[in-house]
Amino acid sequence: MSGFFDQLWVQNALLFLGFGLFAALIVSGSRNERWQRAGRYLRGDRTGMVSGAIIAIYLLVGALETLQFPYQNGTVSVIGWFFRNVPIESTYSAPLAATTLSTSDPQPLKGRHLLGTDALGKDTFAQTIRACRTALILGGFTSAIYIPLGTLLGILAGYYRRWVDDIIQYVYSVVASVPEILLLVAIIIVLEKGLGTMSIALGTTGWVGLCRLIRGETMRQSERPYVAAARALGQSHWRIITRHLLPNVMHLVLINFVLGFSGLVLAEATLTYLGVGSPIGTASWGIMIDGARSELSREPVVWWNLTAATFALFGLVLSLNLFGDALRRAFDPKRG
Amino acid sequence: MKKVCLLRLAELSGVARPCLAAIWLLAFLLTGCHNDPNPKPWREKRADGKPWVVRYASMPEEVRSLDPQVSYDSISRMVLEPVQDCLLEYAPMKIDPYELQPCLLESIPSRTMNADGTVDYLCKLKRGIFFHDDPCFPRGKGRELVAADVHFSIQRLCDPKVESPISANLAEYIAGMTEATDAAKRNGERFDYATMKVSGVEALDSHTFKLHLLKPYPQILYWMAMHFMAPVAQEAVNYYDGLPHADGSRGEMISRPLFRFHPVGTGPFKIVEWVRGQRFRFVRNENYRTTVFPSEGWPKERDAVNGPLAGHALPLVDEVQLGIFRELLPMWLLTRQGYLDRFAVQKDAFNSLISATKGLTPKYADRGLKLEKAVEVSTFYISFNQQDPVIGTNKKLRQALSCAYNPQGFIDILYGGVAPIAQQLLSPGVFGYQKDFRNPYAFNLEKGRRLIAEAGYPNGIDPATGQPLKITMDTTANSSAERQLAEYEQRQLEQLGIHVEVVENTFARMLEKEDQGNFQIAAGTGWGADYPDPENYFFLFASSNFPPTGKNINRYKNPEFDQLFEKMASMENSPERLEIARKLNEILIEDCPMVLNFHKAYFVVTQPWSPETQVNMMLEGGFKYMTVDPALREQKRREWNAVALWPIPVAIALVIAGLGYAVYINRRRNV
Repeated sequence: MSGFFDQLWVQNALLFLGFGLFAALIVSGSRNERWQRAGRYLRGDRTGMVSGAIIAIYLLVGALETLQFPYQNGTVSVIGWFFRNVPIESTYSAPLAATTLSTSDPQPLKGRHLLGTDALGKDTFAQTIRACRTALILGGFTSAIYIPLGTLLGILAGYYRRWVDDIIQYVYSVVASVPEILLLVAIIIVLEKGLGTMSIALGTTGWVGLCRLIRGETMRQSERPYVAAARALGQSHWRIITRHLLPNVMHLVLINFVLGFSGLVLAEATLTYLGVGSPIGTASWGIMIDGARSELSREPVVWWNLTAATFALFGLVLSLNLFGDALRRAFDPKRG
Repeated sequence: MKKVCLLRLAELSGVARPCLAAIWLLAFLLTGCHNDPNPKPWREKRADGKPWVVRYASMPEEVRSLDPQVSYDSISRMVLEPVQDCLLEYAPMKIDPYELQPCLLESIPSRTMNADGTVDYLCKLKRGIFFHDDPCFPRGKGRELVAADVHFSIQRLCDPKVESPISANLAEYIAGMTEATDAAKRNGERFDYATMKVSGVEALDSHTFKLHLLKPYPQILYWMAMHFMAPVAQEAVNYYDGLPHADGSRGEMISRPLFRFHPVGTGPFKIVEWVRGQRFRFVRNENYRTTVFPSEGWPKERDAVNGPLAGHALPLVDEVQLGIFRELLPMWLLTRQGYLDRFAVQKDAFNSLISATKGLTPKYADRGLKLEKAVEVSTFYISFNQQDPVIGTNKKLRQALSCAYNPQGFIDILYGGVAPIAQQLLSPGVFGYQKDFRNPYAFNLEKGRRLIAEAGYPNGIDPATGQPLKITMDTTANSSAERQLAEYEQRQLEQLGIHVEVVENTFARMLEKEDQGNFQIAAGTGWGADYPDPENYFFLFASSNFPPTGKNINRYKNPEFDQLFEKMASMENSPERLEIARKLNEILIEDCPMVLNFHKAYFVVTQPWSPETQVNMMLEGGFKYMTVDPALREQKRREWNAVALWPIPVAIALVIAGLGYAVYINRRRNV
């Protein structure tokens, strides 16, 4: 399974599919009056707009790193093409240094590196930029798994209640009672390492929170007069769920998606630190932070890899959280 | 005095009272503050009034088992070695070639070849060697070591419940082992030590025994230098059963530890403290008379240190504190502060310690630190699966891959450039190692490109697909360093224009793949020798040694190699054996079932008070040979850890200024 998701064409296809679904969600939501009011509020929220713009830049960079085209007997990404002339050195070099980082045998560098190089001589700046793809792929794949799952089960539990609710509650209580990190590691070890596997593991463990949230909101909405009216008019359960309930809980899904995305990016770093994350050769902030374990104890200390990865991660996670807060404010019914 | 103080405290005004109490509390808490992480020595002075000398050492993990017949990993052996002496041992200063010397035996056993092809070794135990004093013996006094204890150890190797990892290996050679094991299996896996004797160990008198081998096996002497054949006392094994007994002072039930966690040996030290996950503490065995410091074997430049110790009673120190450090950084920091006596230089501390000329940097040379180079008896390589339809059938392709790989970068990244590039399978110091031999398929990219074209893949392109040849490389990548190294190997091999796909595996999964032959290339493979003999290296490529029972994970099969190996394995060292070892090396290099990488080596830093007195990496620690000058250590520790007092007044001034500003702001707001 991991191998299938790790194929380039699958990732490209899923990327386009993800962007398409996201666009469809926005377009369909824009017809909803509540969404329109939220959109108007959001346009006036400077913090929200700035953080949204930063997220868009990350997404764009990630998408450009994912898109590959044929180049010299192989393929190269758009971002990779920009960095095609950046040389690979023999080992560490400090930012803008002229030689490798070694007091015993410093070697002249083939080029200058804005943020230095890592243990294998790869340019840290290029690695930091290229790692946006890993965050994008992971966040996108995982959301594509856990959001439909959590939303569907939440609505079914909240709408049908009785034995349906009992079963779904039982399942998510069981999933939530297993220590998450152990479950993640176990799934990844069984399915073998890979970005696809990591997404599957995070997706199958991450839907519980959203499911609980949507279940509660659906129960609340089900008591509203518009649902009673739809029932009185003889509409089918499917129609009530898709046409009435789903649009009224989608704002929660959107907020959860944005805030959950930051958690997924951090989870990648955590899992990589534990040795079950991104595979070898992947540009990833998690791998850079993991490598820094030994780099920080070096003398002289190698600080640039950790710093670059931390700032990149911090920028994305902070922006996602601020944007999520802005969305929550925009959709808040008490806002008046 | 106490009354006066209390009265005075009671007389103080409201604000002063809590302040004074806080100062007292602070002073009380600070009395325990110092930066020495080592616990106090077991004793302050020896019985004769001389100072008690402690050696501080470190290891990276907790032990798994201290049962001599079971323990195989180097960490457990490091703890076992000071406690449990072996029949023979490695000479501490002889590494080129390695040499054995008697330990519990009076001399190296003499060999007799019998007409029926069997071999006998006559072994005489030294007299007057006693087991450690322990409650398992009557009145807690250790009894004398006798030949029956050796027989009991060999019986334990046959006991299915002991699960000795080398039982099958030795059963092939020591007469009666297979029969004893089979008898135990027929008896429901229960080994009856009274009736199931091993005929291969024949006691001639209380201190003499004869070891009968079914066929010539000169390597048996190396096994005698390992703990598997070390004698243990049956009383200790029976006593430490892990069950509750009425051992309490008032007859209450107390659980005894298992024997595998409570070794009772004849070695130079006894374990007196084991804080799980933190440290072992060994204290000198007062009755130890088995060995003394050697009188020769070291080069001239070591005369100043080793000369005065010649013939000296062992151990040289009274106590060894062996700390368990799972991270490298604390080890380096403690060495820098003088709280560890020896440090194996890792890549993270390399740049600050080692200069351009591969000596110590002036900062640490001025401190009096010394640098030693330690080469382990090991060889690491990248394995090719000889049964793979692409790699296994194409010798030129394997040679091309070997030529594409530059081990120097690998060594620079992981071992600070200190480990020697492996030019051959045998490591330095092993009989048959050729100092001047150069691998014709060592790194040479031009040659590699030529060879891959001859192999049928010009520029690395597979003519069948028109795409770069795709090869899968399996590896374990459990740490960032392993991941970096796998990526390095991938990049090196891809210089030929091929595509190398790296598959990361857990350690267990990797072993499974190796056993099943389910890989094309396996990175990170290698061999740390059990003993320094060519047989212990070349057996890795003998076709009789295929997995799952053997270690030939490459599944290399060459009748000529097999024939020569069989002949060489049972020979004593001789010019003829040397010639065969060379021929075996040539065959392997030409067939190229692996890409040779490096022999593991590193720099060791010793403190000015603890010069290196043993250099043999076959010893796991060699604590009994280690020495310390405690007075110099104390002096240097004081110098290196001088406390800077200026931060205290600065911090107090800052706090007062901050408080003053807060009060000022508060008053302004409230006015």
